[in-house]
Amino acid sequence: MTSSIRHSSPLQIKLSATSNTDLRIAVGLAFILAVLPLMIDSRYLIGQVILAMFYAIIATQWNLLFGFAGIFSLAQMAVFALGGYATAMLCSYLSWPMALAIAAAALGTAFVSVLIGLACLRLAGVYVSLLTLAIAQAMHVLIVSDTECFTMVASQCRQFTGGAVGFARFGDLGMRDLLEEHWLWGNYAIVLCLFALCSGFTYFIIHSPMGLAFKALRDNPGYAIARGVNRFQSQLLVFGFSAFFTGLAGGVYAAHFQAIGPSILSWSQFNFIIAITVVGGTGNFWGPIVGTLILMAADELMREMGEFRTLGLGLIIAASVVWMPKGLLGRVQDLQQWWGRKHQSHNHLKSSSNH
Amino acid sequence: MMDIFFSIALSGLTSGAMYALATLGLSLVWGSMGMLNMAHGAMLTLGGYAAFAVVMQMGLPGPLGFVAALGAGALVGALLYMLVVKPLLRAEVASFETAVLMATVGLATALENSILLTFGGQPLAQPVKSDGMLQIGQQGVPYQSMVVIGVALILMGITAYVLQHTRAGRAIRATTQNRDAAQLLGIPVGRVYLQVLMFSGALAGICGCLVSSITQLSPTLGADPMLKAFIMCVVAGLGNLPGAVLAAFALAFIEAIVQYVFGGRWGFPVLLGLVILVLVWRPTGLFGRAQIRRL
Amino acid sequence: MLKPKPAAALVLDGVTAGYGGLTILRDISLRLLPGHMVTVVGPNGHGKSTLLKTISGMTQQSSGRIWIGEDEITSLPAHAIAGLGVAHIPQGDLLFPEMTVEENLLMGAYLTAEQAQIEQRFDEVYRLFPKLAGRRDQTASTLSGGERRMVGIGRGLMMGTQLLLIDEPSLGLAPLVIDQIYEAIGALKASGRSILLVEENPARVAELSDEMHLLDDGHIVWSGLPAELLKRDELLATYLGG
Repeated sequence: MTSSIRHSSPLQIKLSATSNTDLRIAVGLAFILAVLPLMIDSRYLIGQVILAMFYAIIATQWNLLFGFAGIFSLAQMAVFALGGYATAMLCSYLSWPMALAIAAAALGTAFVSVLIGLACLRLAGVYVSLLTLAIAQAMHVLIVSDTECFTMVASQCRQFTGGAVGFARFGDLGMRDLLEEHWLWGNYAIVLCLFALCSGFTYFIIHSPMGLAFKALRDNPGYAIARGVNRFQSQLLVFGFSAFFTGLAGGVYAAHFQAIGPSILSWSQFNFIIAITVVGGTGNFWGPIVGTLILMAADELMREMGEFRTLGLGLIIAASVVWMPKGLLGRVQDLQQWWGRKHQSHNHLKSSSNH
Repeated sequence: MMDIFFSIALSGLTSGAMYALATLGLSLVWGSMGMLNMAHGAMLTLGGYAAFAVVMQMGLPGPLGFVAALGAGALVGALLYMLVVKPLLRAEVASFETAVLMATVGLATALENSILLTFGGQPLAQPVKSDGMLQIGQQGVPYQSMVVIGVALILMGITAYVLQHTRAGRAIRATTQNRDAAQLLGIPVGRVYLQVLMFSGALAGICGCLVSSITQLSPTLGADPMLKAFIMCVVAGLGNLPGAVLAAFALAFIEAIVQYVFGGRWGFPVLLGLVILVLVWRPTGLFGRAQIRRL
Repeated sequence: MLKPKPAAALVLDGVTAGYGGLTILRDISLRLLPGHMVTVVGPNGHGKSTLLKTISGMTQQSSGRIWIGEDEITSLPAHAIAGLGVAHIPQGDLLFPEMTVEENLLMGAYLTAEQAQIEQRFDEVYRLFPKLAGRRDQTASTLSGGERRMVGIGRGLMMGTQLLLIDEPSLGLAPLVIDQIYEAIGALKASGRSILLVEENPARVAELSDEMHLLDDGHIVWSGLPAELLKRDELLATYLGG
């Protein structure tokens, strides 16, 4: 029985060796990302890095739900879309300023998620997956099949949910006014801050007492519950918070691209997130970020393949799950453990001869 | 009035039969292996296209197309066992359910995309079907609807017979109800899983052939029936086969009514709302048995 | 290093086993002769069930070897080991809850093809446990604790093996029912079967056992005749709470 619950204070954990490495990596990454736009001239590449950061946020939040809190929700893209759509609709229909719309959208998304959580979380794992999948699909269907004209926009019919076309030109992040032709760098800075914020929040949750509770629930549910860990409450909290940040990211995404449409809810988009998570590894903070790097790179390469891209993605997902169930980082960790045990056993043999 | 009632009843029966078939395979796999096969829809689609390919491209007669659908599904089922389930079981991953779910999602994407690349994205007509109608008084019943309902009923009967009265079927039930005990009695659980996946694949293939004969062939054919089949399994409760079939027909009728009254797009969301209500009331489904978690 | 004598029904040699990185059994060696009954006693949670699970293949050992008769079963999967002639009657019965008594028993004969043999074994089981005869069509999940135990043992007997592994047959049963169960086990021993039995309380099985092992913290700390163990108060006190 591994002692997953130790009577040590939360602070003790923060000062551990792994936390120091994490901090160093985080600072390094932040530095690279901050300096990147100064080194690269290509608008395309900057745009891709922005997109990558969005993906990383989505994947990190999903990993928090999935890999840490054990909530097998398949509605991650729906939550993201909700944030984006709410922002677009608030701007389009009520002419709200962008910042307010994004904030309200994030809160609304969190609220809706908590409702979904109340319905789902009492159920066993697979049921949650199916229900959330069904909710996401229902959302997609309702949007895409919306054909009734709600309003007229410059003599063109617009449906309430935007229909198959979606929303466009409802506002932006304000960088065009501020920086004119350098607006992309302004947006980059905003997205970078968002990325830092979301990642920081996730890291905090993972290493807080609640994060430990989740680890305990995962490793030994009976013991954890006997020790008073309230699974339902904890899961609901994580569901709500991660939805807030995902919705927030969705709003910023809509503002950055100045458009949102049902394609964000498509199966292929979700597949990309799944691939990121599976390749990078779940249950590990850096997994989704590593996964994003690898998949964005792979995607660039597969762009040459054109039609075979989706096929390739599907195969990557299946192969990764079967050959690297814990993702790339999991493999690396296994290797580290194996190495550590080899050295330990040497010492153990020496000391055991004294028994 | 009679017209409306008749057309809803026919629609409900036909969809119900197709959903029941889809549900049967899913519930079998889920009940006996604890596995959510997200590639089930793709297997459905593959079945439909296999029938098409055999008839249109190879010029063989209709019934052989049907057999091809069956065979294609069974083949994918076998591959699924060899390439995904067996390695994951051996690796003793932390969460088999999740891993299998993700792997089958990937496989489904790959399969669907392969079909898209091979046959193109435009909808095709399923050649393996019967044309014509049977006149009952004022109403016309398409022969194909009768075929669908008939085939579904026959397959359900076969499944029930196999499970209750054959040695292999008993082994499947034993493995479902207590895997450890089954192993101790000499039942080769791995082979049972292979059989279940192949059987469920065959059912999916046939189902795809039938569904595409009522609607049409497209690479995303199986996605919608699969999701609805999952919902029906959930409503009935994990691993309850007769319950799942019942739920399939019941929900198909409800869907038909809702679609008639409110319009096509509301069918699925209403089903979803219903499922949520059922699960809030009975978290393990209407007929589900509570799982005893061994800690 | 023990060499398997052709006469032994079951031999364990230096078996170490556990799960999830945790070692539970340490270097276990024992031998069961045909027609004998060997009992393993000891405090709970110290490996008795793991011992049986390792033999039947439910758990993989990390080192050591196991033979059933002439066949080495060290790295075989559980269903193959069952096929070589050992019936493991597990703790907690592990019945098929939605099958009837008769169906549960029938599953025991899964590996048997001959109908006549199956009929014969049904006769034996119903003779041993007359109560079950009256409950043939009752669903297993509705049975009482004692009846479930009977079905569990009966199902194991339906396998028609010479070697039986029985895990705590008295667990959770009322004293009167325990008597019935042990009467049946006595009859099984008398029929010439080889039995490895795990029990918490040695007094119950002292008369029937030919040899007893005391398992503590995964080691066999004492082996010998049952009568001897019952005399050793210090052992009884230390390991079995008096």
